Amino acid sequence: MTGVLELTVDKFTFRFATDRYYHPEGVWALPEGEGRVRIGLSDFAQQSGGDVAFAEVKPVGTAVAFGDEVASVETMKTDIVVPAPVSGTVAEVNPTLEMSPEVINEDPYGEGWLAVIAATDWEADRGRLLDAQAYLERVREVAEEEMRKR
Amino acid sequence: MSPNRRVVIVPCSGIGKTFGTVSREAAYTVVEDLRPDAAELVALSLLVLGDEEARAAVAGHPTVTIDGCRLACATKMVQESGLSVARSFTVLDAFRKHRDLKPEGISSLNPEGQKLARVLAEEVAEAVEELVKNETEA
Repeated sequence: MTGVLELTVDKFTFRFATDRYYHPEGVWALPEGEGRVRIGLSDFAQQSGGDVAFAEVKPVGTAVAFGDEVASVETMKTDIVVPAPVSGTVAEVNPTLEMSPEVINEDPYGEGWLAVIAATDWEADRGRLLDAQAYLERVREVAEEEMRKR
Repeated sequence: MSPNRRVVIVPCSGIGKTFGTVSREAAYTVVEDLRPDAAELVALSLLVLGDEEARAAVAGHPTVTIDGCRLACATKMVQESGLSVARSFTVLDAFRKHRDLKPEGISSLNPEGQKLARVLAEEVAEAVEELVKNETEA
């Protein structure tokens, strides 16, 4: 992770790794070369969801299209359907998630990754994602709207 | 604390949180139903305030904490008060073992939440039994 942006709304501070792209629904995508894209939940998504109880990722070999459900994360508060931020095939699933899904809360941009996707057309999908600053602005709108509702 | 009651239970005090409600329901079940002669509640807020009676109860007896979430406020506050925790439980761990018992509600739990509280209470009650036995043998 090369850099981090931060956004504080009320008592909450959300972090945004600047070395990756974001699906608007709170999923990051980090290209690793050779068509491999690592994915995971953003800090905002994990904080909004609360403590993770279970995380299930589609098995290796599953083909997913951009926006398809690639994983489901069940938290104390809610069930999160995780959309694929890139089209391709699931190449790796984080083995830590089975026994210690709380790693998503503890290190969302590092050890809490969900899967690696072998992308079919990363360049095309990248254009549909947000960079860290754009995602931060989107989160700002969502978080401030939530605060107004309280 | 009654001299017969030899284990202190400190539950989560998370207000407005479903898992906090489960932790408190479990604690009530232990002290009122499953191990009324062996366990007694101490409020986390009293420990935070430094209440002498609460501190003395925890200092003088094995203490079991029941946390709602990974923040583990009950466990941390007991420890930060300079006191020790004999056993700690979390509602999140109980839910992971019983995925079909997803709790909902705050002032009153749904049936699944009530069952989860009961299951957790039974685990805590077993721990209380062990701690009493260890104390008796010591």
